[in-house]
Amino acid sequence: MRMNHTRWAASAAVAATAVSLAACSGGTPAAEPEEEGPVTIEVWGWNAETGEQIAEAFNAAQDEVKVEYVLQASNVATQTNFRNVFEAGEEVPCLVPGIVPLTTLVVNGWAQDITDVVTPSESLYHEGALAAAQIDGRYYGLPSGSDGQFLIYNTKTFEKAGLEVPTTWEEYVETGRELKKDGVDIANLAGEDPSTLINLAQQAGAEWFAIDGDQWVVNFLDEGTLKAADVMQQLVDDDLVSNETYQDKPALYAYFDSGNMASTTTQWWSLTGYQTDMKKSAGDWAATAIPQFEGAAEPVTPGRAAPAFVPVGCEHPEAVMKYTDWQTTAEGIEAGRNPETGAIAFPNQIADPSEYAADVVPEGFFTDDAAAVDAIVEAQEHVIGKFETGPNFDAWFPELQDQWGKAVAGEQTFEDALANVQDFVAKDLDAKGISYTLGS
Amino acid sequence: MRSMTETTRPRGTHHADHPASGPPTGSSPRVRRRPRWRAVQAFKGAALTFPFLAGFGLFVLVPVVMALKESVFATKSAGGLGFGEQTVAFVGLDNFVEGLGDQVFWAGMLRVFLYALVVVPSTQLLSLACALLLDAARRRTAARLRVVLLLPYMVPGVVATMVWLFQYSPVVGPLSAFFRLFGLDLNFYSGELVWFSIGNMALWGALGFNMLILYGALQSVPHEIFEAARLDGAGELRIALAIKVPFVRSSLVLTSLLSIIGTLQLFDQTLLFRAVTPETITKDFTPAMMIYNQAFQVGNLNYATALSVILAAVVGVASAFVYRFTNREEA
Repeated sequence: MRMNHTRWAASAAVAATAVSLAACSGGTPAAEPEEEGPVTIEVWGWNAETGEQIAEAFNAAQDEVKVEYVLQASNVATQTNFRNVFEAGEEVPCLVPGIVPLTTLVVNGWAQDITDVVTPSESLYHEGALAAAQIDGRYYGLPSGSDGQFLIYNTKTFEKAGLEVPTTWEEYVETGRELKKDGVDIANLAGEDPSTLINLAQQAGAEWFAIDGDQWVVNFLDEGTLKAADVMQQLVDDDLVSNETYQDKPALYAYFDSGNMASTTTQWWSLTGYQTDMKKSAGDWAATAIPQFEGAAEPVTPGRAAPAFVPVGCEHPEAVMKYTDWQTTAEGIEAGRNPETGAIAFPNQIADPSEYAADVVPEGFFTDDAAAVDAIVEAQEHVIGKFETGPNFDAWFPELQDQWGKAVAGEQTFEDALANVQDFVAKDLDAKGISYTLGS
Repeated sequence: MRSMTETTRPRGTHHADHPASGPPTGSSPRVRRRPRWRAVQAFKGAALTFPFLAGFGLFVLVPVVMALKESVFATKSAGGLGFGEQTVAFVGLDNFVEGLGDQVFWAGMLRVFLYALVVVPSTQLLSLACALLLDAARRRTAARLRVVLLLPYMVPGVVATMVWLFQYSPVVGPLSAFFRLFGLDLNFYSGELVWFSIGNMALWGALGFNMLILYGALQSVPHEIFEAARLDGAGELRIALAIKVPFVRSSLVLTSLLSIIGTLQLFDQTLLFRAVTPETITKDFTPAMMIYNQAFQVGNLNYATALSVILAAVVGVASAFVYRFTNREEA
């Protein structure tokens, strides 16, 4: 077929545009090895407040890497869009936030091994953030901070009951029994959210999934998990907790605000919401370290992360690492300050974020802001970060929700619930052809 | 030469040989053209359906064929930690056999079937009552009420569920407070009342649409019949039950079928109510929830599509059964 001059010119222009676009994208080989100018990487995220301004500040701070921030609507939208571009074999972005747990990223074939680019930067990060980014000693994710859990409690409620704040989970249950005499619940366990159980299990040293050579070791009934289950069981059996759902936020906050709930475990990003929605009890709350299990060798704080990753197909992981490292600097952290609220995102990925803790404590919520800062810093200092969720988290988590819901409602024991989840995991791994052995 | 003889044979002779084959000799050319003209006309008429057929083919038939293809395969890892490539193997009807024997799936099916037994007739009866009342009202009043009653149908299901979740809230919702005035301590989130809560919401959402279809059908009933009935001494209630209801029977069949199809596919309401009563509404509570869970959480797309085909077959059979049953007299 013959082409006239106009068509040739148009085709050449299209080809030139395609080549230049390819050079700008992360997933396509550069047109020329000796490329001039900065390497351009596409970064996805749903940070509508400061995502763009962080990228712009980075671009202004250096001239080797240029970040193009693509704002996504939400975590779910990012998952959908990423699946689409990945399945379609299109140009993938170079940096995607943690849309699913790390192992799921690897099972899906999405995350590339970036050990070589992360290792030189290890000193910049907290060990929990480094642990969260690894599977079997290899980095498949970028170092990502976990939000360390601490305890907030209503000082008026405790004063009224004449009780001290518990420092161990065993004391916590006992305190709950005392509070119940006044009709006060020590905590709320939402029937749809088993994260409290996961947190306590993690804190007690549980390991639900471990890698042993070429197979998984699955154990939902190890010593740590059973310790956590026992605390939960006592709280439910003695009716020491409420079961308000997160779905009904107005009712939840009204209950939190009522003085009938003495305490809750939480993390830094929940504090602003509490301050906004708990007007009546604002100023009555105090923060302290999360209770430990008796006999613990050293204090540990539960906290997990879904690390950001560099998708398979991106050819510039070193540029991504440069951008990630820059966000640990004072300049990078300051770039994330919200111009409207003045708040910063707490840099929980760095080794010592203590100087930023005061920025995330809302005014007027705590009786003692300095003590709250200490609690947040201590929580970050001891955060574990890593909790392996295995190759089929998406499959077993809804099952854990089902089983947890029945246990919280008193229809079965927590140990039975965990045994049922383990059975489910075994069947699912069989169906998926993944090798495993049961640890109990 | 024979062929030459035949081609030169007078037309009259030809028709004389086949007396029953067509009209008289003089009309022969028209006989030949008419089928062609009709075919063109028929084609033109059929062409009007092409946009629909194209959409139907692309968005219904193609996905159905793709689903059938997916449902006869199984995807597995080749052992190890699950980090490597996956293999896709043809398994024939294994997924269907597993689905037909899956107790969790059929327990969900039984649940929605029992739910449909209550909700579908209730919706139809209330919609019919509303349509009859609207029909009895003055046209101007009816026009205003019609829009108001249709409003819930315009609200997306997820939004409606969120709205009702707040209405039902035992702490901040108005309904529990209202019933407490009468000494009734009702928790609409509880496992005991959750079916009622979901059913009431479904009824609220579907009432306006069904009512509109039935009201439209009532408008086509010849008014002479009402006058004749009134002359014979029939009251309004008698006219409604003996004349109007039989006249809208075919519309009732239509709305019932749509309700059955919608009810058996119960998904978004139960998914959102799962948070408030997780001990009752599990991840596999309805067939559609189980299919969603298998496809997007467990990640077993092959099995999920097989279950979808089974659900479609059940909905089809139920619809056919209702259609035959309700049209028995006319047949």
